[in-house]
Amino acid sequence: MYLELSHLKKNFGDKEVVQDLSLSLEQGKLLCILGSSGCGKTTTLNMIGGFLTPDGGSILLDGQDITRLPPERRPVTTVFQSYGLFPHMTVLQNVVYGLKFRSCTKSQAREKGLRYLDMVGLSDYANARIHEISGGQQQRVALARALIVEPKLCLLDEPFCNLDAALRVKMRGELKKLQQELGITMVFVTHDQEEALILADSMAIMEQGRLIQNDTPMQIYRHPANQFVSDFLSLDELVWTEDGVLMKVIKR
Amino acid sequence: MSNRSVPAKRASKDALFRICGKGVDKLLLVALLGSVCLFVLYPILCILMRSLRGGEGLSLAAYETVWSQYRVNLWNSVFVGTLTAAFCTILSTATALFLSTRKGWAKLLCMGLLLVTMVSPPFVSSLAYIQLYGRRGWITYRLLGLSWDPYNCWGVIWMQSISFVPLNALFLTGMLSKLDPGSLQAARDLGAGPGAILRDVVLPLLRPGIWVSLLLSFVRSLADFGTPVIIGGRFSTIASEIYLQLVGYSNLEKASAMNMFLLLPSIAAFFLYRHLMRQADLMTGNGRGTQAQLPLQLRRCGPAGLLAAGVSLLFFVMMILQYGCIFLSGFLKLSKGSYSFTTKYLEELLKYDTSTLLRSVEYALVVSLAGTLFAMLFSYYMERRKVPGRSLFDCLVTLPYMLPGTCFGIGYILAFNHEPLKLTGTAVIVMANMLFKQLPTTTKICSAALTQVPVSLERAARDLGGGQFAVLRDVILPSLRPAFFSCFAYNFSSSMTTAGAILFLINPGKKLAVFKLFDAVYVGEYATASLISTILILIVLAMEGLAYLITWKEAKPRVS
Amino acid sequence: MKKKLFALLLAVAMVLTLAACGAEKNQEELGQDPNVQDPNVQDPTVQEGTPDAEPQLSGTMKVVATSESYVTLFDKFTEETGVQVELLSMSSGEVLSKLRAEGGTPSADLWFGGGIDAFMGAKEDGLLEQVTFDAAADLADTYKDADGYWFSKGITIVGFLVNDDLLEDLNLTAPASWADLLNEEYAGEIIMSNPAISGTNYAVVNALLQTLGEEDGWAYFDGLNENIAYYGKRGSDPLNKVTADEFAIGISYIDRGVEAKTEEYPVSIVYPTDGIPWVPEGVAVFKNSDNVEAAKYFVEWLFSNDDNLRMLAEIDKKDGLKLVKPSLEGVELGYDTAILMQEDLSLFGSQRADILSRFETLMGDKAANE
Repeated sequence: MYLELSHLKKNFGDKEVVQDLSLSLEQGKLLCILGSSGCGKTTTLNMIGGFLTPDGGSILLDGQDITRLPPERRPVTTVFQSYGLFPHMTVLQNVVYGLKFRSCTKSQAREKGLRYLDMVGLSDYANARIHEISGGQQQRVALARALIVEPKLCLLDEPFCNLDAALRVKMRGELKKLQQELGITMVFVTHDQEEALILADSMAIMEQGRLIQNDTPMQIYRHPANQFVSDFLSLDELVWTEDGVLMKVIKR
Repeated sequence: MSNRSVPAKRASKDALFRICGKGVDKLLLVALLGSVCLFVLYPILCILMRSLRGGEGLSLAAYETVWSQYRVNLWNSVFVGTLTAAFCTILSTATALFLSTRKGWAKLLCMGLLLVTMVSPPFVSSLAYIQLYGRRGWITYRLLGLSWDPYNCWGVIWMQSISFVPLNALFLTGMLSKLDPGSLQAARDLGAGPGAILRDVVLPLLRPGIWVSLLLSFVRSLADFGTPVIIGGRFSTIASEIYLQLVGYSNLEKASAMNMFLLLPSIAAFFLYRHLMRQADLMTGNGRGTQAQLPLQLRRCGPAGLLAAGVSLLFFVMMILQYGCIFLSGFLKLSKGSYSFTTKYLEELLKYDTSTLLRSVEYALVVSLAGTLFAMLFSYYMERRKVPGRSLFDCLVTLPYMLPGTCFGIGYILAFNHEPLKLTGTAVIVMANMLFKQLPTTTKICSAALTQVPVSLERAARDLGGGQFAVLRDVILPSLRPAFFSCFAYNFSSSMTTAGAILFLINPGKKLAVFKLFDAVYVGEYATASLISTILILIVLAMEGLAYLITWKEAKPRVS
Repeated sequence: MKKKLFALLLAVAMVLTLAACGAEKNQEELGQDPNVQDPNVQDPTVQEGTPDAEPQLSGTMKVVATSESYVTLFDKFTEETGVQVELLSMSSGEVLSKLRAEGGTPSADLWFGGGIDAFMGAKEDGLLEQVTFDAAADLADTYKDADGYWFSKGITIVGFLVNDDLLEDLNLTAPASWADLLNEEYAGEIIMSNPAISGTNYAVVNALLQTLGEEDGWAYFDGLNENIAYYGKRGSDPLNKVTADEFAIGISYIDRGVEAKTEEYPVSIVYPTDGIPWVPEGVAVFKNSDNVEAAKYFVEWLFSNDDNLRMLAEIDKKDGLKLVKPSLEGVELGYDTAILMQEDLSLFGSQRADILSRFETLMGDKAANE
């Protein structure tokens, strides 16, 4: 497998936030970690990103053990919930920042930066300041900034939670398109089941630090592991197409 | 609490407030602006008028003299101010970085040290400096065998730089704690090592704060007369020349004219400061809450990080030496070159009536409470209520910061020595002088805190039927609680230790503890001076601790 | 909580009211003196003759003095007259600046101690009150103002304070005379106070100019300037810096307090063989002050009773009072008056501005060279 988490453990004080978590993901696929707040999904993401060191277990990426590597040395980038954009830099400077640490000349970086900005539809804003653009645009900058370094794995921590509903649906589609075009492996954390069902190639449902079920959305729909999964996903509100793609959610 | 009271009663009370509120609101505003005009603008105008007083009517003679004879002092002031600002800012930034990247006891210790050194009794620090680094200083001469002369501009620059650090460092530490942790995480995630994070993210984000620190130190250095008077030797700045004109030649006209010259660069610096503060808000305004520790290890930050760690350690060691020297001197007896431990001086001091000390505490308490409230209300009206001419008032309130203390005091005598405003000789003039001399800093603290209070809170209160006054009472004042502590601490420690501004205002029978200190320094009783300083520092720390406990205790139930 | 904050709000209102009340109270006090409004008009009610009997005294007398140590003397005054005394120490330059800023509404009644040049300046500006009393006739003419605007409470003499350890380190011998100070080997080791700040050091400049004559006098100070490390901006700098081992030679006032320092520190006193400059220390009453009567009576009380003068001499640790009042018993001069320089005190006030201005240029030249 491309990404393998095995027996990950993390405690904060007495509290076991992540307990014996094992997961795996194929290259080029998108994994959604789904769960209510406090279930340990962000902690898991932080361990993959290197911002937390696991108390036990290991993380393998493309055959390399990255469990103890500091974030700056992992071939992994993150799109943060609050974006973490640099307010003192322009949009373009933000996007190309990561290239500074990868052998890349200034003109190459600029060219590539503009290309990625074009890809997320922001070519007109290259020289704008961060506080001059909207929330949705900031979101795209953060995405472009994370993707430009061509990471082996891109992590997204509830990236759409600050956007309004319509924009969220739009961004969702764009993200999926981008991910498939670039063939990038992604781990996406969310508490929104609809988002997860639509985006995910593979879904992992967590509750109280434990992995409850890990499978394709269709499989989970057909065979929910228990009543909790069934309730949490409100499965009876879903309508599916024949080839296993979610068609719509019936709101009652 | 008040939930138990009869709702109807409460409603009628609130209705009453709504009716009275508007009146009180207007009255408050008028009182605030009026007292700023009276206690800041008017005395400064008096100084201006005095500087124009010639033989017959108005004349610019004093200005011509100053310009032709004291240009070198003006130049000296700007030179010292610039270098002090630079050194002080480097030190402060390093110290703030050091402090922000530390946790646990090391952080507590350093914070404590900064708090102690925030209290700097006049003259004594300079004397300790001479004792340590003088021509025959313990360190420079006895330890290192250097024959170096500290009585020149470098001594002044160095001494000013280190004595301005605590306030600037605390300010920068506050700013660092508000940096968006996401930015730092993102940089790391993209491959930036600690050194690159420091260089590309932390320092650029801190840039407005660094500018503010530069400007504040520059202005403070221009107005500081104590340091050049004590260790300047033959080197004199315009501020020390003002002191000389007042104390030596009793030439008020010349001193006033020099002050006016001093105001020009200071006012320019002020407008730059305002501009930069707005930028600082943009950089950190969207930071989410505060973080206790910056996720950065200085020693891994490459040369810049090592330099910062080294410089701040040097600073802390110097501070420990300096204050240790002050504390120890109170208990050391010198006889023919050898030291012995004694409590003689302490006993002598305690025998002396403690009334001056009590009066000092009393004045300081009144000034702290009134001053803090004044600052809160003032910054509220300035920041939120779009009062016409607010940038003018904002500038006015900052003026006392730019004047050497002695001159602000003389301005008060000139302004309030005749009817119908005869205040000379009263306690009020002393307290008003302290209050308005400290207002520039406290209003800045409050304004900064206010920008953290979302406007929506205020709107909500009004939306629910509260008037302007209710907004002030129920929203603004409670949410300024953290600022209350900072203001109170600053007011109290300044009031206990300020001497320059009230040197001319204090009257027989209304003496303060700092004057006892003055006397002791003057006649060369270092032991007594050290003991008084120690006592002053302890009182200030105790009072700050108390204020902290009160604000902390009352804030706690609100968290849950 | 809200209530507490509201209470705070009230506190500010109270402080503001307090300020207003303070002002009013002062106006009332002022109202008692009809002359306050125009300080330039000479008070016609000032008594010419001094009452022999103790006048009706009351209230509080506010004193600015050079030192706190006089408190016992004033305690005695309080005991005998019932007038409370409040004491504040201030240098004479500060007093003069404050007086000038107050524009004729002084906040103190009595001025006790400080170089006589400041008193002369204050008399010139019309800031002092005339005092006449019988015992004034017993005081030597040199040490009192002819018109009774100021008197002398003692005499300050000037000498060298030398740090023996330092001189030894530097391989130097102590200077014995003013002329010795010009010796090149003392360069950078001599400290004196700015004569504008220090009445004592102003006396040095004026006295040496009088003794050496205008031309030689200024040549002397030009030479001395080369050897002086810097001019202290406080009167006690020479004393403090020499005892702190910072400089080898200080030009300082000498009294028994300084003598006591020779026990604690490795310092000794040198009386220059070519003459000791000296300056009387003034006592005066401020014009238009709140309690002029008490202050005037204090001056009379002090100089009329030798016990009081002896007590003062004891506090001051000085014996110059013997010169002020030759009939005074129990105080003996510790030095021969012959070594005191010949000074015409009347020039102290009149030449002050010119001398200080020339001295400023002289000092400045060196500062500019650095």
